[in-house]
Amino acid sequence: MSSTSYLLLVFILMALATYVTRLAPFVIFRQHHERPLLKFVAKYTPPMVMTILVIYMLKGVQYNSVEGLYYILALLVTVFFHLLIKNALLSIFAGTLVYMIAIQI
Amino acid sequence: MIRSVIKTTLPILFGFLPLGTAFGILFQELGYPWYFASLMGIVVYAGAAQFMAVGMLGAGVGLFEIAISTFFLNSRHLFYGLALLNSFGAWSLRKFYLIFGLTDETYALMTTIKVPKEFQRERYYLLITLFSQCYWVLGCTIGALASSSLNFNTEGMEFAATALFTVLLIEQWLMVRRLLPFIIAIFSSCISLILFFQHMLLISIVLSIIAIILLRFINYKRL
Repeated sequence: MSSTSYLLLVFILMALATYVTRLAPFVIFRQHHERPLLKFVAKYTPPMVMTILVIYMLKGVQYNSVEGLYYILALLVTVFFHLLIKNALLSIFAGTLVYMIAIQI
Repeated sequence: MIRSVIKTTLPILFGFLPLGTAFGILFQELGYPWYFASLMGIVVYAGAAQFMAVGMLGAGVGLFEIAISTFFLNSRHLFYGLALLNSFGAWSLRKFYLIFGLTDETYALMTTIKVPKEFQRERYYLLITLFSQCYWVLGCTIGALASSSLNFNTEGMEFAATALFTVLLIEQWLMVRRLLPFIIAIFSSCISLILFFQHMLLISIVLSIIAIILLRFINYKRL
């Protein structure tokens, strides 16, 4: 097998493996949308996942260097802007800008 | 509608463009033509898994090991669909594509934002998904093409993903207004951070869902 067709085979298998994980809940629960327990789980999964995603992002930061300090600072800027002005785009932009400037200079 | 979608997905652009570029640069080290990086972004479309695959391909890991690792790496998506079962409309090509394009970022966005009243939800979601994938493929392509001659310093831009999740977390709090799910998520994260640092994402999600179901059975009325 040539190196290119091997790579394409890897792509196809990876695509299938990824698609199975994304498709599964839609297929498994296609007839049980209205079950109270499922609705309950559907309602509370997003806040829990969002909390976990934030913690997951924070886990990768090097806290024993200035990078950690900048990261926390940018996070505070994001939260502060969002609580104050409630414009999602502005908060994300402000936080990212602060972090980029801090880390590049 | 396109303007509104671009505005909504701008944080995803900030996140995907530098990350995709980083992937493209890394991918070039394997020695394949640049367009395979773009192709991978189109066909596979899974950030972390693509990074992992470059490492595994470079190390000569076998085909099925890569596939199995991809499955486990992405298995958190098994739980993402739960909150969107009724959001993608009837079964059609569009729905299959919306499911294909369900990433951490689009999931976070679609479960939190309110679609403006004048637009049809499924079409709005379709554009969110399509645009997000375009940003990703664009990033992969730029990185692979310009791996040595990139002038703009994107260092730190990846913070956009953290900022996006943080903002959406605040929005979730404003919608749900109950401490319990957040506390459960923090507890589950702490446990899985201590016990399974590498796989904390999936394990925390599973633990929190189990915990909140158990709590519902124990104390039905308060939830």
